Amino acid sequence: MSDLQVYREKARAFLASMAPKYGRDARKGNTVEQDLALGREYMAARYDAGFGGINWPVEMGGQGLTHLHKITFDGEEMQFGMPSHFFGISLGMPVPILMHYCEDKEFVKERVRKALRGEEIWCQMFSEPSGGSDLAALRTKVEPDGNGWKMNGQKIWTSWAQYCDYGVIVTRSDPTVEKHKGLTYFWIDMRSKGVEVRPIKLAGGDSHVNEVFFDDVRVEDSQRLGAVGGGFGVSLHTLMIERYIATDSSGFGPHLDEFVKLAKRVDLNGKPALEDGRVRSAIARNHAMRGGLDAITKRAFAMMMAGMQPGPEGSLQKLVAVRSRQKLSEMAMDLMGNEGLAFDPHAFVKTDWGTSWLNAPTGRIAGGSDEVLLNTIAEKILGLPQDHRPDKGVPFNAIPA
Amino acid sequence: MSILYDEGQQAIATESRRVLDARMDKARLLALLEQVGQHDAAFWDTAVEQGWTALAIPEEHGGLGLGLIELGLVAQACGAATSGAPFLTGGYGLSQALVHSSDAALAAEWLPKLASGELTGCVAFAEGNAALPPKPTVTYANGALDGVKPAVPGGCAADVALVWALSDSGVVLVAADLAGASRKPVDSYDNSRLYADLTFAGTPATLIASGDAARALALDVLGRMAVVTAHEQVGGAEALLYIARDYALTRKAFGQPIGAFQSIKHRIAEMYGFVEVARANCIHAAASADNLGGTDAFLTAAADARISATEAYDTNSRDCVQIHGGIGVTWELGLHLHMRRARSLAVECGNLVFWEDLLVDRLAGEVA
Repeated sequence: MSDLQVYREKARAFLASMAPKYGRDARKGNTVEQDLALGREYMAARYDAGFGGINWPVEMGGQGLTHLHKITFDGEEMQFGMPSHFFGISLGMPVPILMHYCEDKEFVKERVRKALRGEEIWCQMFSEPSGGSDLAALRTKVEPDGNGWKMNGQKIWTSWAQYCDYGVIVTRSDPTVEKHKGLTYFWIDMRSKGVEVRPIKLAGGDSHVNEVFFDDVRVEDSQRLGAVGGGFGVSLHTLMIERYIATDSSGFGPHLDEFVKLAKRVDLNGKPALEDGRVRSAIARNHAMRGGLDAITKRAFAMMMAGMQPGPEGSLQKLVAVRSRQKLSEMAMDLMGNEGLAFDPHAFVKTDWGTSWLNAPTGRIAGGSDEVLLNTIAEKILGLPQDHRPDKGVPFNAIPA
Repeated sequence: MSILYDEGQQAIATESRRVLDARMDKARLLALLEQVGQHDAAFWDTAVEQGWTALAIPEEHGGLGLGLIELGLVAQACGAATSGAPFLTGGYGLSQALVHSSDAALAAEWLPKLASGELTGCVAFAEGNAALPPKPTVTYANGALDGVKPAVPGGCAADVALVWALSDSGVVLVAADLAGASRKPVDSYDNSRLYADLTFAGTPATLIASGDAARALALDVLGRMAVVTAHEQVGGAEALLYIARDYALTRKAFGQPIGAFQSIKHRIAEMYGFVEVARANCIHAAASADNLGGTDAFLTAAADARISATEAYDTNSRDCVQIHGGIGVTWELGLHLHMRRARSLAVECGNLVFWEDLLVDRLAGEVA
């Protein structure tokens, strides 16, 4: 057995021992607050068992293993449905950025340990009402204030902000230069005076994202990450940290086996739906597509094991998988007919077609919309031209509103 | 199982593409479209000279003893070039049946000749839209075939055929020397595929397998040919992707390259997605053949490859032409070489419906 296989077995054994208390089935019917409390317990247990900060340096409190170990663990953890989702963004982007840019290493070490143990949560504040895809169009501004800064403005779509202790944020420090050149990046204490968090209820009924308002919030210059005016670069670095994360060819919705089971169970025109040509075609096309995505993932894994950079085709995963999940969920609901009209807002997205369908649009927008992903493939992989950008080369404060 | 190409395999990919780029001639391929029963001799000579006919034949029979991965890479290069002869896939199908045949004498006689290119092979399974008819109309009795196999790829010129037929005791897989059959060339939309109706009238043929064994072997052969064809489709689809990309970079409208319009650039990005999903399936299926050949797991992988590659080539030929506008539909530009090939390859060795059914039967655990 390879080192990674041994590691996978070890991870699975740990997760199996946690599942009776923290797994998906054990948490059925819980409120978000109950899940969060369990999540914090689970994260502490995960840390104590040596599965916290798997690919982070030992001197920062991590395990010093490879990225492959991390995605191996994440892939296994996903199967168990552990309540680690509250901490995914926190540990995925803000905390690594803090480790990289913050100079007060003792402060960082304490934050890292508490974040890994689920005692503190960090959020990432990039999107604003004026721009999500167009990140550099942001308007939240900072102005010099004595030896520090004063922050005013608004962020939106901030995941888990209502439970967060800290956050990283990119702001406009100079409106007189081109939009991406006048940005500066900070970490902030979410309990600072003038920070107000308001949850947004999403179409599926949950409220994990928020609006965050800043009213004359005081920020010390020691909270700055990167140079003044260097915020866009730090933002890109943030987004690049987790380029190769655990993927899911089901688009984080139900596995195709669930659809086959449904098609066997229900009848259509007096025969099992599985015998209907339209249903068969949908199953086959989805299997071929998901098989291709899985093969891309395995090849990327093999390349990383060989010390190579995985190919750019990995960028297709979310685009292709979530889109197809949305359509397959619609078809599953058609097959269930009026039996499928009942809706449980707490149902699990990987086993419930209604929940999968209702939350699929979020998946197609968050973390890069389909259209942005297509632009990225066209421009970065295929070398096609950028879109027409009338704001190019124009100082931010001269761009027509 | 999924693999990374090793150095030898990468060299085969690069070299086959280089040779074909240097020797293929669009004008010649366009002319072949209007000639019935003619193939591109320059291409076939190249295939033989480069040893592509010998690639996947065992060394003890004069081959190179390589496998589906290597042949797939060559097929991909052939697909990119819309190469003008169908014998690589047909010859491979026949050779695989011979390798698994209990008739050692027949294998010893024909395999070295298939490897050296002295003989060309074709596979005559399909009748109408059935890739592997449960009750073929062509019959086999007393060592001889009777009946008609319609529009067999390579049928105009192949020397030997692997035939799916019905005997008194059930289905059989037999090999026949086509000197004993008559051929009626089909004037088709992709004439260098050499489609011909093969008429057997007491044509001598050698039994390779019968009954369940014949069905299992025929499915394995079809699965392997489907993987080769899927590589060829990926090669074509990828060529179209880059033809479209290059055109979108140079053609200007409304003061900018058309590739700057999202309706064009997103379409090209989608073409990339089709190619990469199909390519990944092809690599996975080809790498599965050695360990899993003949199993449902291999057929499932082959079906994934075949379905995604057919979608990729069909979609990319539609969209590449569309992106070109008027020039795309001209005879001279020749995008229709790919359009025609996308459809001929989609129909050869099992259409989408066949592979969808085969796949779903296996996923549902409903295989007899």
